[in-house]
Amino acid sequence: MNGRGAADAVAAEWWKLRSVRSTYWVLTATALTLGLVLLLGVQVARAWDGLSAADRTKFELRPLQEIGGWAAGLCVGVLGVLAITPEYRTGMIRTTFTAVPRRGVLLAAKAAVVGTVALVAGEAVTVGSLVGTRLVVGDRRFADQGASLAHELPGFAVAGATPAVYALIGLALGALLRSTAGSIVSLVFAWHVLPLLVYHLPGPWNERVGSVMIGGLPAQIAGRDAENSIYGDLLPPGAAAALLAAYAIVPLGFAAAVLRRRDA
Amino acid sequence: MIEVRELTKRYGATTAVDRLSFAVRPGTVTGFLGPNGAGKSTTMRVLLGLDAATSGEALVNGGRYAALRRPMREVGALLDAGAVHGGRRAFDHLGWLARGNGIPARRVTEVLEQVGLAGVARKRVAGFSLGMRQRLGIAAALLGDPGVLMFDEPVNGLDPDGVRWIRELMRALAAEGRTVLISSHLMSEMELTADRLIVIGRGRLIADTSVRELAQRFGRGVLVRTPRPAELTEVLEAAGGSVEPAPGGPATDGRLADGRLAVGGLDVEAIGDMAAAKGIPLHEVTPHSASLEEAYMALTSGNAEFTADAKTQPTTEATARRTS
Repeated sequence: MNGRGAADAVAAEWWKLRSVRSTYWVLTATALTLGLVLLLGVQVARAWDGLSAADRTKFELRPLQEIGGWAAGLCVGVLGVLAITPEYRTGMIRTTFTAVPRRGVLLAAKAAVVGTVALVAGEAVTVGSLVGTRLVVGDRRFADQGASLAHELPGFAVAGATPAVYALIGLALGALLRSTAGSIVSLVFAWHVLPLLVYHLPGPWNERVGSVMIGGLPAQIAGRDAENSIYGDLLPPGAAAALLAAYAIVPLGFAAAVLRRRDA
Repeated sequence: MIEVRELTKRYGATTAVDRLSFAVRPGTVTGFLGPNGAGKSTTMRVLLGLDAATSGEALVNGGRYAALRRPMREVGALLDAGAVHGGRRAFDHLGWLARGNGIPARRVTEVLEQVGLAGVARKRVAGFSLGMRQRLGIAAALLGDPGVLMFDEPVNGLDPDGVRWIRELMRALAAEGRTVLISSHLMSEMELTADRLIVIGRGRLIADTSVRELAQRFGRGVLVRTPRPAELTEVLEAAGGSVEPAPGGPATDGRLADGRLAVGGLDVEAIGDMAAAKGIPLHEVTPHSASLEEAYMALTSGNAEFTADAKTQPTTEATARRTS
């Protein structure tokens, strides 16, 4: 019975997500980040053409390739928030709770739906940024693009999962705070402001704390160093992967415990 | 079947529902009456597993709502018609609800037709009037063809046609053997719709009765207006009459000093004679057939727990002034 109830709840949440316009706006914004990355790729390719051979060796494409997934994280994070806060604003959350009284199952269903959509969108933007920029620059031999696409793909695929983590954090924040504005502000804080603050901590704490920031985890999972990044690289790949999963699961678990206890 | 047993719900220091017990049986429309803030909505929320009871039980079909497998197939509820995402189309709003409870999609079309919203099924709810939202909320409640139905103030915002439609729908649902509980603060509406009445005030049960019983209990009496209500009450009670402060506010000519008393068990002649013997002036003596509305007002404003600390309520304040 549990399985069928949970499957029904997932199907209901999927219907909900598909039937409001905000979902399409947010996903359009996510797609636009990829479009922007590709446009910037065209610009970068032109700039490359005008450089001397010496300058070309210092010119990197990677920062641009990584920015798409980073921006997608915020977009789908907002998607996660919007999967629940409008229900609190309108009071529809009570209808939802009467339709699916087991609140842990309900939150898990929302997480499954939002997480899956965010994973697909995040991978599309992240991997699309890698492949797309390579296509755009064509045969220009950027110094940091020596590796084959097959060699780079796993690392980008891991990075493409982080937007889904932000989506689940957004969902958990929304469930806990019940306010769209409060949740999005908190999300932006965790996504961008906190890493910047940590970067400015006195050493060695900037590196230590910077190693556990979400944005720094994909590189550590892929075993790359944190050169040219605001993050640290102290974690072994396994620990970094476990921490990334914990970022997705722990806030949701906490939100589920609060939902179960709180009067609606 | 709905059973509430010794239900208490506190929010911080406020007791919204206080050891409330009642049962609602199938095949009847039961009105759940009380002034605003009496605890009707709280009771319904606890019944639906939305709020946790502080103590006591609230059961539907013998069990807790939260334990139901596919709750909407057993219990349909309309709490707040405005609580819908305005960006969603009516069809989609019912669609996800149906999907979440394993209800076939054709039911969505059926209930939309039943409530008269088939023509706007593909329109976004944001453009709906309050009356249309009420209909959508009722459609959601009917979706799972449940045996138990709960409606919180379903006639709010409806035009006279809509009110009549709800009334007939409720009666038809009860006639099909369903348990129907409708909360309202308007006795005039329940008088026409309900068979049984559960009246609460300040979270406590005031009356659990049928509409007919209530009418009879308050129906035959004499309304007396006098400037010396306390003395007259004493005299009439000594003679075996039942005396209660009558609703209806101060005398129409503005003399606040006059008290209105509803007297039971004594006829007009006996009251007049006794008042004359004691020299108590009477300004009005009317054989009275109380409407349910008045009976309800008498019940709720005469409730000691309710009047004691309801300083902000104009009607009860007036009662306190009249009787002091």
